[in-house]
Order: sequence, then structure tokens, then C-alpha cells
Amino acid sequence: MSLLGLGIQYFRTRLLLLMSAVAIALGVAVLFTVLAVMNGFLAELETAIRDLSGDAVIETARTQNFEQHTLQDFEGWLADVDGIETLEPQLTWYGLVGRRGGRSVNDPRSADLSGLMLVGTDEDIAPDVAAELGPDDPLPMKMGVGAAKELGLQVGDEIGVITFVGRRRGRGAPLQRTFKLVGTFSTGRYDQDLNRAVVRRHDLSQLLRHATGFSQVIVRTQADADPLLVAVAIENRLQVVGTAAPGYRTTYDWRNRGGNLLRAVENQRGMLSIVFFFIVLVAAYQLVATLTLTVSEKRRDIGVLRALGATPKRIVRFFVTLGLLISVLGIVMGLALGHWLINNLPTVERWIGGGQPIFRAEIYKFDHIPVAVDTQSVLLLVGMTLLAALIFSLIPAWRASRVTVIKSLRKR
Amino acid sequence: MSDPLPETGDGIQLNAVGNPTDLRLEMPTLMARELCKSYRVGSGKLQVLRGASVDLYGGQICALMGSSGSGKSTLLNMLGLLDKPDTGKLWLHKKEVQNLGQAAAARLRAAGLGFVFQQFQLLPELSAFENVLMPRRLAARGWWSRRKEERRSAREVLERVGLQDRLHHKPSQLSGGEQQRVAIARALVSKPAVLLADEPTGNLDRKTGTETLDLLLRLGREESAAVLLATHDPDVAARCDRTIFIRDGVIFNQVPE
Repeated sequence: MSLLGLGIQYFRTRLLLLMSAVAIALGVAVLFTVLAVMNGFLAELETAIRDLSGDAVIETARTQNFEQHTLQDFEGWLADVDGIETLEPQLTWYGLVGRRGGRSVNDPRSADLSGLMLVGTDEDIAPDVAAELGPDDPLPMKMGVGAAKELGLQVGDEIGVITFVGRRRGRGAPLQRTFKLVGTFSTGRYDQDLNRAVVRRHDLSQLLRHATGFSQVIVRTQADADPLLVAVAIENRLQVVGTAAPGYRTTYDWRNRGGNLLRAVENQRGMLSIVFFFIVLVAAYQLVATLTLTVSEKRRDIGVLRALGATPKRIVRFFVTLGLLISVLGIVMGLALGHWLINNLPTVERWIGGGQPIFRAEIYKFDHIPVAVDTQSVLLLVGMTLLAALIFSLIPAWRASRVTVIKSLRKR
Repeated sequence: MSDPLPETGDGIQLNAVGNPTDLRLEMPTLMARELCKSYRVGSGKLQVLRGASVDLYGGQICALMGSSGSGKSTLLNMLGLLDKPDTGKLWLHKKEVQNLGQAAAARLRAAGLGFVFQQFQLLPELSAFENVLMPRRLAARGWWSRRKEERRSAREVLERVGLQDRLHHKPSQLSGGEQQRVAIARALVSKPAVLLADEPTGNLDRKTGTETLDLLLRLGREESAAVLLATHDPDVAARCDRTIFIRDGVIFNQVPE
């Protein structure tokens, strides 16, 4: 029987010590859950941004540049940049979209109209539809679920699209075309599903009479490549070929693309981590009270141990170990509780909200609560909790080591 | 007929464990000279020990007799390195120990001193076996050092005090006599050179007290420990090899001289 064994016996027989562990467990569980949710937000945000915008995007402030160059030009310029998997041309434009046969597609005051970003892609969104269609045939379009719901559209409905293209000479002319809804998509990001429609790039290019058929180049990087480094390499390369590729100065990696939102979530994660770590800190702080009380109650035991040959250092180690034992149990229980919480968030959400969802997709961008357990964050949480427990255990442990043997043994 | 006791070359007779039978020829295991101790009481000072000198020899059972408040427990605390004298000197195995730091004194207690208290002072959360094992664990260096041997010796000493069937009983499940036997086993498990017992039968009824004393005397002799037994019972003192009388903190008579 070592002193650790005695500590375990104390733990088993004293409810107060178990309560301390429970307090730490609650703090750890809350912080673990908050971190998992915030990391989930960041991870899903990253995935959504990268899916939509690629790992890097080559853009220009002067749209006409894209009309002067082909995709082959870019492939040539960037041939010796490492880490590029693919270059995908994309044509994006804005248009007013409404259900054909609705109140009026031509009436911009109509509530049935919605301004959507039209994304022309080379992805085959309608395999059954012929590549070339007649001028009166409806063109295929896929729409975000939110947008389709907003406009009351079903798959198979015909859609009217009105858009404007500025001309160098003369006024911009309105362009109008009929599309057909061939399907909907859900990116998991509420805002993207509400304001996006995907069409064939070739169709959109024809509608806009766009010369090269793309307004930006989506770069997908190789799995082992760092998107940020690839983006910088592209930027540098485009500057080198500056005269040949004028205006292509702006290259974003996905992190810049998500910009403020990503930074806001990261910032919020940092703030919440600090706030909730205070809960853990307070829980760990009550170890001072719990262990001080234990030292007072076990003064006679300490005296006996000292008489039997325990050095003051050994007594300090015993109480610090007891404190760490409490915190380890608290951490284990907290992580288990936190794990259960993140796996049952919808149920917990219903409990807390009295049946009503607290997490609103229109506010939080996602249609579910994303969670991701980041090992590094968990290790940091465990490490900081243990450190706090260690520091807070030292005070009563030091007091225990100062117990006078004779006085404590004399005490009845 | 038993074998004659061995002798050294210069004619000194040795006992069964190799110590001289004439204790005056042997160096005391524990030697105290002119120990003084006072405690602050309110604004005044209470002088408890006034120059007490004691020699304890291995294999000798010594009674320390005195009335309540005579300084018995204080002297025992000094000899057991539980407290420091104000003045005076103390040697354990020829080593001066009165000024040792807390850690060094604790290590010495773990290695060479055994205690039996009137109130038993067992750890209530631990079983009899775990209580007896504790001094060995405290004396051990490192987590796994000689674990098996420690457990074996704890079991063995509990068998010697007749508690082989009570190994895993908690103190609350044992009678007073059994608890004191556990305390004796705990004091002897480290094979101490000095065993200090503070009124070991004071909390027991007469019959149990006598049994416990028998056990303590027998084991003390078997272990060849220097035993000092504080008591105010003359019957207890009569069964010891030597009696030291203390009054007002002064050793005034030792029988036999």
C-alpha cells in the first residue's frame, strides 16, 4: 500500500472529493463541447469555402482581361508552379431569377424574383440534357435548396432569368433566357444555398456572349500541398509574367476568401475558450478548499505518516497527487460527458430550447450544428486543467507538510 | 541443555544475537545526554525536560515510569526524533541526530525507529495489512522497489502477532487489543533498532493489556530491539529488564543501575 493507495481510499470514502471531480468534469465538458462546436464551425466553413471557391482563386479587377486570355494561357504560365492539381475555369454572373409563369419575370418589383449568383461550371450538372440546345429550349440549372424553396420551385419547373451586360459602347442590354430546374444542392451553408444557382458554363457564356467563357480560375491544390504557399507561388508567377498577364494581381487562397467570417469564428473560438476556461479554473480552484478541509480532517493521519517516516516532501507529493487524482477523474468524466454532448447535440438543443431549435440556420449559416474534435485543443485543455490542479493543490499540500507531528497525534 | 553462550577472544560473553551480555561493555543503540525541553504556555515557559540522560541497548526492554505530566511522552518524542530538544545531545548508532532536519529525521524514523502509541494511531481507511505495510513503503526508494519482499514481511509480522485471519480487516472491524497488535506489527515491520511504546496497554482492559504486553516483550526480545516502554503501571515495569524513573523532567533513578 503506497500513499497513492491511501489517496484512492480517501477518494472512495469522501464524497467531497468526488464532488470536486464532478465540478471539474462539468467545466471540462462545457469547454470540450464549446471547442468541438467552434472547431466544427471552422472545419465546415473551410470545407464549404474550398468546395465552392477552390483552394485558391485567380481573379482580376478588370473583367475584360479574362476576355483576352484563354485557359491554355494560364496553364502555360503556371506550368512550373508546384502543388497545382487542376485549374478550373468558372464564369460567375448575377441575374434575376423567377419561376416562369409566376406573377411576372419581367417585373423587377415582383416578390417572386430573387437575385442569385449564377455560377457557370464545367461540372456535368445535367447528363441527360444535350450539350447544344436550340434558342427556345430551356437550359439546365441547379439551385441551392434555400433559393428553390424561397422561389417555390420544384424540380422540373421552368425558370426565367434576366441579366444585364455592360457594353463598352452604348447602354447595357437586358438578356433573358429560360432555364429548367434539374435539381437542387445543399452545401451545408445556409447563405450559399440561398443565393446560388449552378448552370453550365458554356450556356452562361453563350447567354452573356462572353468571349472566353470564364471570369475566374479556380485552383485545386494537391492533397499534400499547402494552399497558402501555392497561392503565393501563383501570385509571384503571375507577377513575373506581368506584361503577358496584365491585371491578374489578385490571387486568394481559400482562407482570404472566407476572410471576415473565418476570422470572426476563430476570434469567437478564442474568446469562448478563455471564458469557459475560467469555469474550469474556478472548478480547479475549489480544490484548495476541498484539500484544505481534507488536510484539517486528516491531520491525525498526516501526523501518523510523519511519525512512520514520511518526509514533508512526501506529504506534499501525497496531497498534490490527491489533487491530480481528483482532476484526472474530473477530466475523464468531463471528456466522456462532452463526448456524449457533442454526439447528442440535437437532443440537448431540444431539451434546452423546450422543443424549439436554438441553433438557427439563417443566423449560423449551417443547417446543423457542426462538431469536430481537435486533438491539439483537447490536449491543451487537459494540460491546462492539470496545471491548474497542480498549482491549486500545492497550497493545501504545503500546509499539510507543516503539520506538527506531536500536536496532531495528541489530538483526540 | 542449551549451548553455552559464545565468547569473544578477550573473554566478553555474547548473547544469542552477538551483543555482549554485560551491557556496560556495549555501545548504547540510543544515547541521550542532558536533554532539555520547554514549551511556551501563554506568556510563560513550561520546562518539561530538565537534563534527561538515557542509554538504550539492543535487546534490552526498558520501562520509563513516571506520573502524568512527568515528561515521559516528551522524552519519548525526543528519543523518537518527533521533536527537537532545546539543548542536549542524542546519538543513534553513534551518530549525532538531535539537530537533523525534518526530512533526515523522517528517513531515520522510517529506517530505524518503531512507535507504538496508546491510541493505536492506525490509518482508518487502510486494512491491517496495509497499515503494517505503510512504514516499508515510506522507507522504500522508488515505486517498485522490493514490493514482493515488503508484502511478505508485512504478512509475516502480522502472523507473528496472531492476526493472520484479520489481514484485510479495517481498524474499525478490529477490537482494541487487535488494533494494538496491528500497531505492534507496524512498529516491527521495518526491524527497527529502537522501539518506543507510549503506554501501549493504557487503552486496553487488564487481560488484553497483559496479552499485548507479553507480545510486545516477546517480539522486542526476538528482534533484539532497544525497547523503551513508557508506563505508570508498576506491574508492567516489573516485567521489563530495567526501569527508568522520571519526575519533573529529571531522570532520578535507574533500576538496575
